[in-house]
Amino acid sequence: MNRSVHITDYALVTGLGCDVKTVWSRLVAGDSAIRPVEHFKTTNCLAKSAALVNDLPCQAGESRLYPILEQLLEQLDCVPQSARLITATTKGAIDLLENDCQHHGQVSAAAAVVPSSMTSWLARQLDVDDNGININAACASSTLAIARGAGLIAHGVAEVVVVCCADIVSEFVLSGFSALQALSDQPSRPFDVDRNGLTLGEGAAAVVLMSEDAAQRYHRVKHAEVCGWGAANDANHITAPARDGCGLIQTVRQTLNRAQVKADEVAAISAHGTGTVYNDMMELTAFKAIFGERPLPISSIKGALGHTLGAAGGIEVVLGIASLNDQLVPPTCGCVNPEPLGVGQISATAQPFSGDLLLSTNSGFGGVNAALLLRRGQQ
Amino acid sequence: MNCNVAGFGWVAVDGLGAGKSGTFHGFTAGELAPVTRQDLFDRPDRRFGRMDSFSKLGLAAITFALRDAGLEEWQEKRSVGILADTFSGCLQTDCDYFNSVIPDEGVFASPQLFAYTLSNTFLGEAALRFGLTGNCQVVNCCADDGLSVIHQAIESIQWGEDERVVVGFCELSSNGALNAPGALFMVLEAADVARSSLMALTINQQGAMSCHGKSVDTVTMLVEVLAGT
Repeated sequence: MNRSVHITDYALVTGLGCDVKTVWSRLVAGDSAIRPVEHFKTTNCLAKSAALVNDLPCQAGESRLYPILEQLLEQLDCVPQSARLITATTKGAIDLLENDCQHHGQVSAAAAVVPSSMTSWLARQLDVDDNGININAACASSTLAIARGAGLIAHGVAEVVVVCCADIVSEFVLSGFSALQALSDQPSRPFDVDRNGLTLGEGAAAVVLMSEDAAQRYHRVKHAEVCGWGAANDANHITAPARDGCGLIQTVRQTLNRAQVKADEVAAISAHGTGTVYNDMMELTAFKAIFGERPLPISSIKGALGHTLGAAGGIEVVLGIASLNDQLVPPTCGCVNPEPLGVGQISATAQPFSGDLLLSTNSGFGGVNAALLLRRGQQ
Repeated sequence: MNCNVAGFGWVAVDGLGAGKSGTFHGFTAGELAPVTRQDLFDRPDRRFGRMDSFSKLGLAAITFALRDAGLEEWQEKRSVGILADTFSGCLQTDCDYFNSVIPDEGVFASPQLFAYTLSNTFLGEAALRFGLTGNCQVVNCCADDGLSVIHQAIESIQWGEDERVVVGFCELSSNGALNAPGALFMVLEAADVARSSLMALTINQQGAMSCHGKSVDTVTMLVEVLAGT
């Protein structure tokens, strides 16, 4: 390796808005998108609220996924037809399964529910030649999708890769996390000593990755560089993280090595920060092992935007670009009393920082960990 | 780019096993027999009993592949990745789970089933069982040839991301790249760490794949090469 990898276009849809500028300004102001769920019954769920995308033009029997993706694509400039396509979703249009149930009393397997349906739909909408792939690695799906795209460009296999990710709030997923006792009955409080679970969210993000040559050829602004990435498995548990953070430590070290960057050069961290007891402690343990006592600002957006599952990493990368541009990490909404390991590093208000490198990490079921290192580009 | 196939494992309608047994004949239509613990492990195994059918299928083929490559036993965790292609994934488990939600509006939603409603969960099962700490992900390929996941595995090795990758296909239905229910996983390794190469897998500069010297344009052709060894 190799060639540099640049983010030349990006977009996102979240509960705080459907364009990057709006979402970022509301996030920095401390707004939250978490509100009561009304599109299905939550009677027996631990949580009755989630971070929802407002006013989706969704007809009865249709998935919420595609109106969200339509709003996403409206923000993107034209993508070269030769671009490779990588998508990321955990459950895609899983609400179609719920609709099927309402009609038939029980559910049956339907092709429209499989993740690759989203990929095929996006390939048609973007009018790219590539059929695309979808990456499914739980909550690290989109981080790994961007890493894969970056690898293709860095090693000269592709010139342009568009990565799109999305997941929705559905009865299927909310009831499942409720059954696992993973939800908080109040808006989640990442890294707070009194955190007691996550709040789900929905949303989508897209990033267009280009080589240096392609960025010049297509006259695109290089908003940020993806200069490092890594992935490792805990090999420890299916639904719980390794308490010593071994997988995340390995992941971040890979990421820094690939970027040929020392830990001291990282200026801020966009953490996974789900608001669950074990995930947040695992992350702080890992960060302490890598970055020592340095008071590096750490943030999680999940107290405001909810946990968007397979879309989380992509959304956090897009907001990471805004973070680098403004030299500001967003508030960790709900974190009133940070865990002792994070005191001085995590705040419920936005924190200024100075530097060009932001680390973004995600971890998920199946023991997956993934990280990306972003370098500030042209504004 | 080239790497070695150190071993492979399979589960098909007409049986299951490791590559070097010489009993692999490819995949045919029909109904898969349930994979049992006794098919794989000598000792009782509580985790295996809890798993959904999709995970048992995938874990079985991965287990046979690692056994075939002499990598089943381990002392310390290893940087081995797992990449799995599937079309339907755990869709049947999704249905089973949601059918547990419907009565009484979720009061009896099964957390056990929900944990397996991610297609990558069986990769986590394999990772913790065999101490594999590499990149583990499910790749849903949309191209007709179905070979994207193999390309990704070879590139991962070539680019130094993992020394070894367990890569393959897992499908309970006939909708996937195997065109039949079943699972097939291979252990790929860099040529310089190869211990017991079964055959070479190569991608030339034009992106064309060959296995054991034979051109491979589709997953079906790859299966034919493996069945011929």
